[in-house]
Amino acid sequence: MGNPVTATRETWGPIAQGMALTLKHFTQMIVARDKTSVTVQYPEERREQYPRTRWRHALTRHEDGLEKCIGCSLCAGACPARCIYVEAAENSDERRFSPGERFAARYEINMLRCIFCGYCQEACPTGAITLRKDFELADHHRADFLYTKQMLLEPTPAPGAAG
Amino acid sequence: MNDSKLVNVTINGVPLQVPKGERIIESARRAGIDIPYFCYHPRLSMENGANCRMCLVEMAMPRTGPDGTVTLAKHPKPQTACSLPADEGMVVETETEAIVKARRGVLEFLLINHPLDCPVCDRGGECPLQNNTLHYGAGASRYIEAKRHYPKAYPLSEHVVLDRERCIQCARCTRFTQDISGDAQLDFLKRGADTQIGTFNAAAFSSLFSGNTIEICPVGALTSRDYRFRARPWDLATQKSICTECSNGCSIKLDHRDGLVLRVNGRVNEAVNEEWTCDRGKFGLPASISGERLTAPLLRDGDRFREVTWDVALGVVAEKLQAAGKQAAVLAGSKLANEDLYALQALCRGGLGSVRYDYRMGTQSSEARDAAAMLFGPNPAPTGIAGLEASPWTLVVGSDLAVEHPIVFLRLRKSWRFGKSKALEMVSSSAPANTHVGAFAWSSVRYADRGLPESLRSACSLLLAEMPGLTATPEIRAWAATGTPPADDTASRRMATALSTGPGTILVGEGALSGPDWREVLVALGHLAGLTGSTGSVNRLVSGCNDRGAEALGFGDWQPGTAGILAGAASGATPALWIAGADPVTQYHDPQVAIAALEQASFVVVSDIKLTATARMADVVLPSCSVAERDGTLTNVEGRVQRFWKAFEPRGSASPDWLIAARLLQRLGKPSVWFGWQDVLADMRSHVAAFGGVSLDALEKDGAMLVAPQVVD
Repeated sequence: MGNPVTATRETWGPIAQGMALTLKHFTQMIVARDKTSVTVQYPEERREQYPRTRWRHALTRHEDGLEKCIGCSLCAGACPARCIYVEAAENSDERRFSPGERFAARYEINMLRCIFCGYCQEACPTGAITLRKDFELADHHRADFLYTKQMLLEPTPAPGAAG
Repeated sequence: MNDSKLVNVTINGVPLQVPKGERIIESARRAGIDIPYFCYHPRLSMENGANCRMCLVEMAMPRTGPDGTVTLAKHPKPQTACSLPADEGMVVETETEAIVKARRGVLEFLLINHPLDCPVCDRGGECPLQNNTLHYGAGASRYIEAKRHYPKAYPLSEHVVLDRERCIQCARCTRFTQDISGDAQLDFLKRGADTQIGTFNAAAFSSLFSGNTIEICPVGALTSRDYRFRARPWDLATQKSICTECSNGCSIKLDHRDGLVLRVNGRVNEAVNEEWTCDRGKFGLPASISGERLTAPLLRDGDRFREVTWDVALGVVAEKLQAAGKQAAVLAGSKLANEDLYALQALCRGGLGSVRYDYRMGTQSSEARDAAAMLFGPNPAPTGIAGLEASPWTLVVGSDLAVEHPIVFLRLRKSWRFGKSKALEMVSSSAPANTHVGAFAWSSVRYADRGLPESLRSACSLLLAEMPGLTATPEIRAWAATGTPPADDTASRRMATALSTGPGTILVGEGALSGPDWREVLVALGHLAGLTGSTGSVNRLVSGCNDRGAEALGFGDWQPGTAGILAGAASGATPALWIAGADPVTQYHDPQVAIAALEQASFVVVSDIKLTATARMADVVLPSCSVAERDGTLTNVEGRVQRFWKAFEPRGSASPDWLIAARLLQRLGKPSVWFGWQDVLADMRSHVAAFGGVSLDALEKDGAMLVAPQVVD
């Protein structure tokens, strides 16, 4: 080793430079992070999904709380992955689930098979099945990927909270 | 309607030779030219027909002018192809601009009041109106006014639901009830836009054949109560099958989903059911094979059953059967396939050396059956179902034909409808006032307390009076003269006029030869058949699904018969009894005897699809397969061996009866060489003469007839 001054500069200079860059990004992140950073602090925060994103299905309701799904099975017919199972039954005045004669007694989607193509949404004559933006679909057991009607159905709107 | 003369017609420029008078819609269909239609149906009459106007075509006929020149004269208006008889030189166009526009207009009219609830409608996906609108209709509706509305889902009957909004008034269902089933319960009510289908005074639509109207309805106006909202057409898989609900053996299609038969539709078989089904099969078959089914072998454990493996169950059964040896017995049910019966027979005779097996649950004795075979020939049904159409008269005795043999009934009615046959029947006074055959019968004789033999005797006596020149021995004349004539012999005299026209057909229901007077009935039938020259066309109609197959296999030929087997079980003479697919507790003619026998029997094994009343009393219960879960063949009433195909996998570890028998044979140290049902069939073909002509090729089509046994004197 020769000149100690040179040696010190050569050793510590690059470190200081590197740390300065790190410090610069660190301050940028702290001070002005929305403008420049691309990292999203998942799961504390989630990236905004595109408007036409197709993820988890939901069965929607009419404003009066009745299910839009009439159990016609057109979604199952359109599904290229054959992952939808529908069993229909007849509405009665005492037990009414949907307008008209028919409702879905069972509505199941095998999410392991679904390819999120959105054909079911396209086929649906009443706009009941929609693909929404919930993308966190991981789970621990295969059986849990069998989404039942209760899991897919929107909650009943609170009384008075129409729309 | 059609004579054999061929005429030249041109459809869309294609020159065709077709029988004169054939409807153009048929000619076009054969030539592969598509003409859309709703109301047309080849088996229905044209009264009230040609009403949907969908099959419009343009037509021109050659016309010879005064100067001898031939010009093509176009008809100014479009014609309905379904009612247009082919004639020499006719020129038809089906795709002109005017026709395309006319079809679009017809569909627009039909759709004025037709609700667009296709997603809810059971017909959606297989609906002629939907299909034709897609292919020939306008893309969008111009109709913005309010549609006609009725309450939905009007219950026409227990089985049929009517949606009056969807009806397009094609009159197919009304014509079906008038032409085919003959009960004429449906008709149009009201007029104009209010026209609707209904029954008189809103009575229930109680036809035995109501299910067919659901099938031929071109829209979703008539739908099935049982199938309602159960599935859509694209959810279903379809398999060809044979109905097991009666001995007629209709060709059917099983529409199934997830191991459940959801509906039964008719399949075309011109020799048997044409395309029709009866309600018993259409609605009864899915019900009889669905519900709680056996899925694993059960072994009695005190008062309860315990699920065991096949290995354990078959071990127990084989041990008991081996111990019983020649004393072991088998009772077979009427729904077992030919292969099952043959395998059971092989188990009994080859494996155990026993001849104690039978299938009969009724009161008809072996003597009655054998005596009838001696008298009328070994083929129990020489005329067959389709053969009825050519018979000048058909006498029905001992059977409520429409209930017991619905498809034979439809064929009899068809032969009457086309004026070829006179239907005659003899019924007891306890039968309803209007019997099904009586509605169109030439003569319906009621035997009050005189009984069937006396009625037959007076028919003979009146026939001899009608035809003095008839050759008859003095014994027969003396026999005929001794009878007591009926108080009112109008119907009998009328019957004699029909009988005097020459040889005809006699249909003998199982009831006729099951009573204690079967000898008298047989003697009287013999004389009547002899006098009319119809000895070769006396048909004994068996009731159980595969009774004819069992008979051909000689299944019940041996003593002691069902009664003896049950008595043996009660007395201990039959230490082991296998009841395969039968339920003597409900089916045996004297249920108390069956119950007593099963209670006292030392060892009973039952194989069935459900835990029947008999199975509840058994020591071992083995799960077997229904007609939908396996392959095999069945023999129908006329001796036609027909194949059915496996639609879906059996429940649990259920197994067909032939396979159970084969596995038991193996355990008895006499293994068979059957790896599949075809092997059993092949064995049967080489060992049972009656099945000698049953080829797999014929089974793929309309089935193969049994070979009638040779008479050995």
